[in-house]
Amino acid sequence: MKHRLSRRTVLRGLGGVAVGLPVLECMLNSHGEALAQATPLPKRYAIVFAGQALGGDDWADNASMVLGTRSTTPGSFIVPPETGPGYTVTLPLKPLSDKNLMGDFSLVSGLRIPFSASSVDPTAIPPAGAFRDFHGGGAGPLLCGTRSQSSNFTCRSATSDQIVAGFNKGGTLASLVVRAQPAWYLSGSSFAGRQYISYKGDASPIEAQVSPSIVYHSLFDGFTPSDMGAVAQHDFDLRARKSLLSLITDKRNRVLGMVGANDKIRLQRHFDEIRDLEIRIAAMPPTVGGQCQHPMDPGADPAVGGDNAGSGSDKIATNTGYSDEAARARLLADLIHMAFVCDMTRVATLQITVFQSHMNVFPITDPLGVPVHADLHECGHNGDAQTRGQIPVSTCLQWHISHYAYLLDKLKNTPEGAGNLLDNSAIIFMPEAGHGTQLNDAVSLNATHSVEKMVLLVAGRAGGLKPGGHIATAQAHPGQVLISAMQAVGYTQDTFGEVTGKLPALFG
Amino acid sequence: MLSVSSIVLLTVRLASSRYESPFSLSLAACLAVLGLGCQGSIGDAEQRGTGAGSGGSGGGGGTTVASNLASASVARRLSRSEIDNTVRDLLGDATNPAGKFLQEDEYTPFDNDYSRQMASAALIDSLEATADDVAARVLAPANRSRIVPCTPSGPGDAACFRQVIETVGQRLFRRPLSEQEITAYLTLQSYATENNPAVSHDFYTAVALMLRSMLQDPEFLYRIEIGTPTKDPAVLHLNGYEIATRLSFLVVGSSPDDKLLDLAKADALSDANQRRTEAIRLLADPRARDQLHRFHAMWLGYRAIPQTANLIAAFNLETTKLIDRVIFDAPASYLTLFSSPDSYLNDLLADQYGLPHPAGGEGWVPYGTSGRAGILSHGSVLAAFSKFSDTSPTQRGIFVQTRLLCNTVLPPPANVNVDQPPPATASVCKLDRYAAHRASATCGACHNNLDPIGYGLENYDIGGRYRTHDDGHPECVLPGQGELPGYGTFSGPAELGQKLIDSGKLEQCFVQHLLRYAVGRALRPEETGEVETLMGSFKASDHSLTELLLSFVASDRFALRQEDPVQ
Repeated sequence: MKHRLSRRTVLRGLGGVAVGLPVLECMLNSHGEALAQATPLPKRYAIVFAGQALGGDDWADNASMVLGTRSTTPGSFIVPPETGPGYTVTLPLKPLSDKNLMGDFSLVSGLRIPFSASSVDPTAIPPAGAFRDFHGGGAGPLLCGTRSQSSNFTCRSATSDQIVAGFNKGGTLASLVVRAQPAWYLSGSSFAGRQYISYKGDASPIEAQVSPSIVYHSLFDGFTPSDMGAVAQHDFDLRARKSLLSLITDKRNRVLGMVGANDKIRLQRHFDEIRDLEIRIAAMPPTVGGQCQHPMDPGADPAVGGDNAGSGSDKIATNTGYSDEAARARLLADLIHMAFVCDMTRVATLQITVFQSHMNVFPITDPLGVPVHADLHECGHNGDAQTRGQIPVSTCLQWHISHYAYLLDKLKNTPEGAGNLLDNSAIIFMPEAGHGTQLNDAVSLNATHSVEKMVLLVAGRAGGLKPGGHIATAQAHPGQVLISAMQAVGYTQDTFGEVTGKLPALFG
Repeated sequence: MLSVSSIVLLTVRLASSRYESPFSLSLAACLAVLGLGCQGSIGDAEQRGTGAGSGGSGGGGGTTVASNLASASVARRLSRSEIDNTVRDLLGDATNPAGKFLQEDEYTPFDNDYSRQMASAALIDSLEATADDVAARVLAPANRSRIVPCTPSGPGDAACFRQVIETVGQRLFRRPLSEQEITAYLTLQSYATENNPAVSHDFYTAVALMLRSMLQDPEFLYRIEIGTPTKDPAVLHLNGYEIATRLSFLVVGSSPDDKLLDLAKADALSDANQRRTEAIRLLADPRARDQLHRFHAMWLGYRAIPQTANLIAAFNLETTKLIDRVIFDAPASYLTLFSSPDSYLNDLLADQYGLPHPAGGEGWVPYGTSGRAGILSHGSVLAAFSKFSDTSPTQRGIFVQTRLLCNTVLPPPANVNVDQPPPATASVCKLDRYAAHRASATCGACHNNLDPIGYGLENYDIGGRYRTHDDGHPECVLPGQGELPGYGTFSGPAELGQKLIDSGKLEQCFVQHLLRYAVGRALRPEETGEVETLMGSFKASDHSLTELLLSFVASDRFALRQEDPVQ
């Protein structure tokens, strides 16, 4: 007879400090399902974001030109003609099919963020609607369900991941917010808010960590080494680290007492973040065992921006516009996976590319057989004179989805309870835009600057989600998909920003 | 008359403008609406400050109007570049660790805009990684003697550790440490001395911990300015260390050296002449050249350009040589940066530009009658502000208006999609497609102030090469005839440069950008007078940049501050 050990017993015994605790076999009931004493398995929530639309400007769905040759190839556009399960695998979805994941996610299409076609006045914007300027106007309503009021990249309420982080607590980290694209890549301007997809609330973005190496160390350096010889060093390093940080936090009152009101706010925030680091360090590390393992050190990060002649972009430098985001996304997916397995966090966002991304897509499209000489943003706007329309855009989308598929595959291959970790998760793939009426002029069709004909993928079986089919909505708001996913992981409300109601079809 | 809704639209849109003048956008909003046009002159700025700078209220309400005697300042976090320069200069680590571990700063257009700085968990984690990386390198046996001047008698040598704490701490915190602080760092010595045979540790273990702590400390990372009240309680006089910090980061982009710290200790930097003398010393430092190179790359937008590594290295050589010559090597009016009749080329560049090869493989080559003169002819500047792998007359127009004339350019109306190239028409020629920008009065209102500037540069592609027609379309001739609105027609960078110089606004816009860089934010209305004062010095010295910097440093203002009420 297995010893029954409740999670609460273990957690309480550690002085109430937040602990990452993987699911131990002795916590399962005899069916290997929900834990003894009715404590459910942890539910995970993640968003994987792609900074691109679904088609090329002025090119109809499935219409393309590749290396000068035009064609109309059905199946290039992400949305298949069939609904329900067993639909035709379209070009962008191929990585999911290759990994036998077609039954593990729902494809939700036809989503639409409302906007006023007759007026550009901010007062005319409908609830949960978009200000008539893409890209900024579409960002907030997609991420947080609250209408945008300007061109700024911002949210006016909390994003879904942060709402979930608020009630779905487990492990030392409320959420893991990471990004693959590390640089802006254009010399005359900079990110200006395009680098945020997680917001704690109105105009309160969370800065993503872009270094896989730093994510690795911040998550896993706390692990107790398995090699007994290393334990003493590890303990020493940890004590030393705490001491040197406390020398800083000890001076908080003196420093804040010296400065004026404005500086108090600025510096207080910095001291608060250091204090937060101390709390994270003080937490007991996860217990390694079962699926929870100390991953291999990924080593130094790939170089930023390609061949940089100087340091970062401080001297005139080659702007090849690519920092091996493929490797970065893969590493970050690995880290999210293990953070979930070890229950260090239950919420993650991975922004592969930023809104309006100027990442060079030649390095990612050439290996896929469709070389595009443009950046991701220009690709949708016919930047390459020879290769335009559906196939190049879908190829970029396929590249993004390949990282999503990679993550799903790892989660699916991680046994947990009677099934696997994906069974206890809701993992969303979120492109920035759709392919319908242009938001700017409200007239042009087949536009990349569109919040119509948007798509979201929802993977996992948490909370009754029934994946595997294509759900074609009649212009439902993307927020309804997010409400559904949030409810699947325990959200008890029915609203999200200014959006109400889940999509019942996601639950079968 | 603009309708009410479009005025609302314009003012709302401004918050997102990429096309900022050095002055804050709220001011520009007023100007735009008042001017009912697409450009406003910052010289017309509505004054909010009172004349005598008494800081009295402007009438009604309880808000104190800012004094125009001193600039508002906050605790400014060091930029990535400043951290790297500091660890190189103070600790000998020249590997640019902050560039590796910290995210890039936002550029507006400079990388030191404090209004964009916000502490976050990601920042703290990155700073910790940076500190650990630096400490490991600096305390490596081959390097450690640089910061450990004594030979410790053993792991518990408190006297030696104290010496390190005092000397390194003073440099990193830019002020002497108190006895209380030194005692606190001394407690780290327990990690050197603890009885723990399983762990390799020695005297230097404690030093590494000290260094890691200091490098993550807000008193290192932020340039905290407090000051003591003057006769006007709102205007504060900086102490010597605060002045030393300002001076050093402005001129060489790095922390004060020991000489400056000694002068600070003796309170010598309150004396304008001493500040001037030190500024002269720092301007002779090679780091001052790097600082000015960086400033120009950010100001003129060529920080990272879409060219091959070889060409970029060549452009870098060309542009830095010109900057160095105008400012340092053969000092002349700063305006010759925009009019110089020659350029420093190598063979690659000579071929790129269609100019004669320099003797000996690299050297100054006269432009002759090629139509080029000054920095606007350089590949670096010509490569910036491109779009869709070609030049954009509109973007180049925006560059000239905002970065060289300091006119505000309003963003396009929200419902216009600027991410598409000008629409294909019956003609494949670029200039014909750009005609769409003149199609309506609304579009033309802005585009007629932008596109004509770019047309005048169209013969120079994004590699700086001269061309007579669209790439791949010999039938699409590029006449290269342009206009600088308000100043007449021109063709090519030499004529454009001369028009800008003759306008008298280029020099003022440069000064505005320099001041913006110095204060680390958009300028405020109460700083208009300061711009005028600096302009006076600039003109009086026949546009000597070094003299401009010296008079700025020597001004009373440089030793003063006031609280920044804006959050």
